[in-house]
Amino acid sequence: MKAILKAHNLFKDFSGVQVLAGVSLEVFEGERHAVIGPNGSGKTTLFNIITGLYRPTHGQIYFYDQDISGWPAHRITRLGISRSFQIINVFPKMTVYENVRSAVVSKLNRRSNCLSLLSRDKTIAEETLRVLDLLSLTDVRDVPAVELSYGRQRRLELALTMSRAPLLIMLDEPTAGLNSEETRGAVRLIRELTEGKTLLMVEHDMEVVFNLADRITVLGYGVILATGTPDEIKNNEGVRKAYLGRK
Amino acid sequence: MKRLPVRPIAWVLFAAFLVLLPYLFREIRVHIAIEVLIYALFAVSFNLLFGYTGLLPFGHAGFFGVGAYGAALIISHFPGMPLLATLLISTVAGFVAAIVIGAVCVRLSGAYFALISLSFQMFLFAIAYEWRSVTNGDDGMSIARPDLYLPFLGKISLQNFSNLYYLTIILVALGILGCYLFLKTPLGNAIICVREKDVRASFLGYNVFRVKLTAFAAAGLMAGLAGGLYAIYQEVVATTCIDNNMSMIPVLMVVIGGSSYFLGPVLGAAFYVVFQDWFSSMTGYWMIVMGGIFIVIILYAQGGLVSLFAPEKGWRWRKEHESDIEGA
Repeated sequence: MKAILKAHNLFKDFSGVQVLAGVSLEVFEGERHAVIGPNGSGKTTLFNIITGLYRPTHGQIYFYDQDISGWPAHRITRLGISRSFQIINVFPKMTVYENVRSAVVSKLNRRSNCLSLLSRDKTIAEETLRVLDLLSLTDVRDVPAVELSYGRQRRLELALTMSRAPLLIMLDEPTAGLNSEETRGAVRLIRELTEGKTLLMVEHDMEVVFNLADRITVLGYGVILATGTPDEIKNNEGVRKAYLGRK
Repeated sequence: MKRLPVRPIAWVLFAAFLVLLPYLFREIRVHIAIEVLIYALFAVSFNLLFGYTGLLPFGHAGFFGVGAYGAALIISHFPGMPLLATLLISTVAGFVAAIVIGAVCVRLSGAYFALISLSFQMFLFAIAYEWRSVTNGDDGMSIARPDLYLPFLGKISLQNFSNLYYLTIILVALGILGCYLFLKTPLGNAIICVREKDVRASFLGYNVFRVKLTAFAAAGLMAGLAGGLYAIYQEVVATTCIDNNMSMIPVLMVVIGGSSYFLGPVLGAAFYVVFQDWFSSMTGYWMIVMGGIFIVIILYAQGGLVSLFAPEKGWRWRKEHESDIEGA
């Protein structure tokens, strides 16, 4: 299988504290890959480095054999990597429709257009409505994001990530803060949305991980403990000791 | 029963009032109206940064001054230049200055952005003050207001105050309309995205630096036009139009008028200029009263005066800001 994303020997120091100490990771085209690990093991840092929020102290990241290490976030995003955030990160005062439309504008590369009115653009409007429909957000399209329920905000977060039609979807704890019923709904939705696509996710909820992931990477305080299928991970002695056993 | 379309009627009446204004008031009042218009454009350009990009510049007079000095220098050195070309050049001068200065400023945010924009304005002020051979220092440059030549209409004298009023209102209206439409384009929308959540914007593919620089340049462009109009209206350009005081004027106007509504700065400019005129005729202490109004609005009505007319909007603005603070 072809690797869509390759991280090679990543190191990250935060003023002397080593958060990642030589992490290598491959994500194959078409798989759902989850990164798990205890709190503070560096999962989100790994995400932030891959997507360009931080620069790695050492190491390289390749996206389809292109070295993207140290690129700024907007360039990485334009290549086709789209991410969501653990803490809701949407445009609070904009309506749901305006939120998604802003993402669609960027996807259609109309970002620098200053000569036509957004509201008059049919292509943008159609695509926006399609995404809203896909995420079942049509009924709240005119509600400002800040006034949505938490569960709906999570779905909007997902909508912003998906509306760029990314080649690699990266979800950072997409079920954080949801109750068990909402979580089940979210898992179903994520499964639908990522069907046939490539997903890299960080997740705390083991049920979600073993439900969704084709392969799992276990991170423990800056190093990779194991990578494998859910069954392999479940039966891995080291992982059990470090992480799963404690639950 | 059908409800009366109150808002359109109000706008039509207001537009008619603006058109007929030179016939309704004495000359001195029309002068005040011209001043309101120029400051309104200046305040709207400031609010592109403050209200729409979420940046608070303390040195916006730099671009106003560049526009004003640009117009004054052209008029005194190239007297044959058509008036509209002069204004176009001062607009472009504001734009170019904003791109150069903005390329440094927008790398910073918050208090540091405010301070570095202030430093650049003080630097420009120092040039205007010290380079006497060109700018005549703090004595300022006196210029004769040129006549306007238009195709078909021929020469239009701007010594006639109502002609000057109509020229100003047309250009200011075009400038403000330009800002309004700009914010409705994809690029204008990107500016709002950056204000709302710059991290999210960059993870949607927006280059946050470029977007902020665009906003800065657009604000400089409109401030340059306002400065050019100011030079032509005042017939004298001195360091007062590029000093710290001038930088604070749009801050006051926008906060008093309300930054969360597009026309808030226009209301703020009208209030500021009219109030200053009215109150300073009674007492020299008008600035104290203006300061008091500023404090009351900052403390109790952060939506500004416009929130009194559109209370729902002002309420929403405050509510969201409160939730921002709770969320932090």
